[in-house]
Amino acid sequence: MTLLKVENLSVDFPTPDGLVSAVHETSFEISAGETLAIVGESGSGKTVTNLALMGLIPPRTANISGSAKFESHAGPIDLLSMDRNELRQYRGKDIAMIFQDPMSALHPFYTIGDQIIEAHQIHNKVDLKVSKARAIELLELVGIQGADTRIKAFPHQFSGGMRQRVMIAMALVNNPLLLIADEPTTALDVTVQAQIIKLLEDLQKEFKMAMILITHDMGVVAGAADRVNVMYAGRIVESANVRDLYANPLMPYTQGLLASVPRMDRPHTNRLSAIPGQPPSMIALPSGCSFNPRCGRKDEVGANKCETQMPELTPRGIGHLSRCFIGEGA
Amino acid sequence: MFAYISRRLAVSLLILLTVSFAVYVIFAFLPFDPAALTCGKNCNDPGIIEANRHRLGYDLPFFTQYFLFLKGLFLGRSFGEGAAMINCPAPSLGYSFQQHACVTNLIGEALPVTFSLAIGAIFMWLALGIGLGILAARFRGRIVDQLSTIFVLIGTSLPTFLTGLLLMVFVVIRWHLIPFPSGNYTSFLENPFEWAQILFLPWLTLAFAYAALYTRFVRSSVIDTSNEDYIRTARAKGLSESVILGKHTLRAALAPIATMAGLDFAGLLGGAILTESVFNLPGLGRLAISAVVKYDLPIIVATTLLAAFIVVIMNLIVDILYAYIDPRVRVA
Amino acid sequence: MARVKKSTSIAIVAVLALAVVAGGLVKMSSGGSSKGGTITYLTHSEAWTHADPNRNYTGQHIAWFGSYLQRTLTAYARAEGSAGSAVVADLATDTGRSSNGNKTWEFTLRDGVSFEDGSAITCEDIKYGVSRTFATDVITDGPTYAIGMLDIPSAEDGSSVYKGPYATEGNDTAAYDKAVTCSEDNKTVTFNLKRAVGDFNYTTTYLSFGPVPKASDKGDAYDMAPVSSGPYKIEKYKAKDEMVLVRNTNWDKKSDPIRNAFPDRVVVRFGLAEEVRDQLVLNDSEKNSMSLDAVLPTNLPTVFDDDGKPNSKFAARALNVYDPYVTYSAVNVKKVPCLDIRKAIYYARDYAGLIQLGGGAAFGGDPADGVIKPLMGLDYAKVTGLDEFKPEGNAEAAKKYMDAAKSACPDVYAKATDPKRGLYFDFADTDTNKKSAAIWIDSMKKNAGITMKFNYIEAGSYYAVVLDQTKQGDLSRAGWAPDWANASTVIPELFTETGGFPMSQNWGDPAYKAFKEKSDAALSEPDRKKQGKMWAELNQYVMDQMWVIPGVFSKTQEVWGSGLGGVFFWEPQGAPSFGDIYIK
Repeated sequence: MTLLKVENLSVDFPTPDGLVSAVHETSFEISAGETLAIVGESGSGKTVTNLALMGLIPPRTANISGSAKFESHAGPIDLLSMDRNELRQYRGKDIAMIFQDPMSALHPFYTIGDQIIEAHQIHNKVDLKVSKARAIELLELVGIQGADTRIKAFPHQFSGGMRQRVMIAMALVNNPLLLIADEPTTALDVTVQAQIIKLLEDLQKEFKMAMILITHDMGVVAGAADRVNVMYAGRIVESANVRDLYANPLMPYTQGLLASVPRMDRPHTNRLSAIPGQPPSMIALPSGCSFNPRCGRKDEVGANKCETQMPELTPRGIGHLSRCFIGEGA
Repeated sequence: MFAYISRRLAVSLLILLTVSFAVYVIFAFLPFDPAALTCGKNCNDPGIIEANRHRLGYDLPFFTQYFLFLKGLFLGRSFGEGAAMINCPAPSLGYSFQQHACVTNLIGEALPVTFSLAIGAIFMWLALGIGLGILAARFRGRIVDQLSTIFVLIGTSLPTFLTGLLLMVFVVIRWHLIPFPSGNYTSFLENPFEWAQILFLPWLTLAFAYAALYTRFVRSSVIDTSNEDYIRTARAKGLSESVILGKHTLRAALAPIATMAGLDFAGLLGGAILTESVFNLPGLGRLAISAVVKYDLPIIVATTLLAAFIVVIMNLIVDILYAYIDPRVRVA
Repeated sequence: MARVKKSTSIAIVAVLALAVVAGGLVKMSSGGSSKGGTITYLTHSEAWTHADPNRNYTGQHIAWFGSYLQRTLTAYARAEGSAGSAVVADLATDTGRSSNGNKTWEFTLRDGVSFEDGSAITCEDIKYGVSRTFATDVITDGPTYAIGMLDIPSAEDGSSVYKGPYATEGNDTAAYDKAVTCSEDNKTVTFNLKRAVGDFNYTTTYLSFGPVPKASDKGDAYDMAPVSSGPYKIEKYKAKDEMVLVRNTNWDKKSDPIRNAFPDRVVVRFGLAEEVRDQLVLNDSEKNSMSLDAVLPTNLPTVFDDDGKPNSKFAARALNVYDPYVTYSAVNVKKVPCLDIRKAIYYARDYAGLIQLGGGAAFGGDPADGVIKPLMGLDYAKVTGLDEFKPEGNAEAAKKYMDAAKSACPDVYAKATDPKRGLYFDFADTDTNKKSAAIWIDSMKKNAGITMKFNYIEAGSYYAVVLDQTKQGDLSRAGWAPDWANASTVIPELFTETGGFPMSQNWGDPAYKAFKEKSDAALSEPDRKKQGKMWAELNQYVMDQMWVIPGVFSKTQEVWGSGLGGVFFWEPQGAPSFGDIYIK
């Protein structure tokens, strides 16, 4: 069943230099228990989308429009129609979020036990002992040894990977229906990355929760996601299930992304392939398709068309959408 | 935590000893003769000077003098012999001939005054500075913030003697809002109400200057801390804004205040000279200054040492306090 | 007329008699005063320079302590104008009886004079009080007339063979016993002087000729707890805090015709910031108070107009008069033994700038040409040889003398012109003085190339420091008033080695020998007119040697709260007659 249905989400930031359209009329869905990966470069809008859903964008800084219907424990709600305060009852309870840098994401002055207990106590009016037991339970679940003593430790006494485990424990303490993981492994060692991703997968199955996995690492996507949304300059440019995306990327940007992943199973070449050019300035977006200045396949449909018209996100196969003039009308 | 405290304590004792020695060295090698300063008008009689020199122990070798000084701190010290002997009980800091009193007694009278002045001022400026700083940060860009900026500007520009004088002339003398004190100081134990009344304007004078600095600091510290990732995490957990501010933001933003306030307090304990002069408070500041002007050497040495001691001890307290607030420091 | 019944008339008489008796009782028990209240004196100083009667020397101190605490054999009349310079009897029955060609003087104590504990004041107490002046190592800074006048031989080094009441060795107490004797009934004291002093009963107006009870003498510490013979006694005296006087219940008004004892209490508040002190009085915030210090020059325009007269608001509570003082800068001739440099300093100085700081001539006074004020009449003659004086400083003249100094006294010249050494000037630590210092430094540098450095001394201890001949700088600010209307209290006091105020330390100067001879001659000259001419000549002599840099024939201003009445300027002391002030 559809857990979250986002329709026409737009987030605009008024700045002295002009309106920055961080997210432009984006729509997507996620079902219960599903893992959706949102992929893109910095500035593509992937983080802002999720901050908007959580109500974590500072008030009076952005214009947010659209709807986000969510099947919470208490019934269907529209996340975007509630203000920050109203959303509080769901934040950390029905929807949880973990962030990129576990070094700075935990409060340095409080023990990890206190911080997890706090997360539990906000949404559960129970005795502290109960919350403490739950915290220990979760710490063991995320693989921290000696949880009942480690619970009194401070964040600076943990390594990066352990800290991320703690963050995950803290996010899951209230059995959320949806977990948003914003680049959870980017700040970690490669060896630790795999562990964390596996942990997330295991927990997802155990807790039966949906997960939005935000990343720019295509390798992570391959292992963990069910479906993938590729975002560029505030728009979804391709959406497909993971197999289809890797087998048959339609949008040149997606193709570029996949091609740039170093592969062990291919012959060594001297150079890594990269997408030429830079992501566009969000204040001065190019006319037409936002990707066109960097696109090497413009001529296949006529460069002029790409430079003047914005293609629509249209279905190209079962569950496979693409925003590109190439292959349109096929 | 205990290990940390023990370590810091040991280091502080070492510093205290070093400081006392350094101060003693400085005064031992000054260009004028301390024995000549102790006697009266017709002191060109070398006999009297030598007699005084012997009486005060200035003719002993340097290290012996220093050792006797240290010993005096713990066991008391006597000067001279026979009928004219002067005895200063422990902790003896010397004897002032100009004021006919043991230096320890003089400091004992002056210290509570300066302490009262400092403690009231620090409460005032912390309450005002932190409160205003938080409001300014919370309502950044709005009226409260802009008013606080004006306050900061005035507070940091006005020198304390001018603030004190203005308060004295207008509040007391012209508008009679507070009566002109009937004495220069009443201790808290004698009459708490009068004590507070005499100290109110001096507190305000000092608090005004310091609160301005603290408002500015707290404001930027709170703003910086609010942008930290762990505040975003706290919000993601579903905490209310007031809990986030009170429990998460403030503990981190105000931690450096502990150090700042502690050191400012130590500085004030050495004697708020200008404020004490304007309001005629017989504190350490005035004791030190009049001793300097009159070349009263034992008092100058004692007040210098005392000021140094206070700084060292406050440093220790502040370090321990900070370790209590910020656990990352405890491994140091 | 109807006949009044006998019983009624008896009753009326009885009631009237009772009323008279009751009124008398009331008057006696309140100590002879009908005004009451508390008068408060405000000062910036941290304490009295001295409260010890043998160590008091400024007119203000003598006026204050003489009004409230210390009685003397004779005293000045409490009257305005020149009438105040007349001498009247205080502890004594009359103004003294002289014999032996004014070399022997006799005073008899009144009945009913006592100390604050009720014990009677006797001749022994007077004798003991006078003896303390001789203990010059302990009893410092007071007038030394007793040493100079009493018939006691001197030792080889010039000091007296009598060393005061504390010294046990090498002390010729017998000599003192011969010079000051007491009658058998212990009520008449006789002073035997070594030379004729026609106005010795003026000398006895000094507090140092007053009684001190031997049992209560604490030597140096007596300065904090002197015993009273006057209408009040000290209840509390704490430096930087206050002094509180309360009524002395053992003081008998009948024995004291000159004191009024109006207030119930007298308080002195010490250590006030200068501006605070001024504002309290100017705003009339403390109505029953009076400042003991000069008004800050910046506040003078608030009280006085440009001609120096009080504004309408202050008409009844301010005055601006010539005081008896001449201010000057004493040059320490021992350290600056160079006449040319002394002259250069005089001509280089920006007198106009300095006087402006004090509010101008209306408040500061007129430029002095020596140490004797024209007011003194007989002893004053205009000083010649100062024609090159220009109020704003005379750079040419200064340079001329500096050039002469270069060859005449190269050492002093080098010291004065070296920026790293320079000349040191003692000043009391007040804001006004600091501004004066700036003008001195500037004009000395500009006009004479002299580097002037300043040594600030706490106001209350200023004289205690600079009178110490080892601590005095190269120049020291000073002021002096004649102790009575004869320059015998000016010239010898300031310029002889045994004088009470010898800040020029000039006895090493080659010109001193001739000076001393002339001064001694003037002292014993019986013809007052001739004596006056001799003093004027000596004044000229002093200025020829430039042993001081003359300042101003000064004026003084007093301001007080509107609640006080009876304030007048008491000329002999150059201060208000404090004992006549009451609360309206």
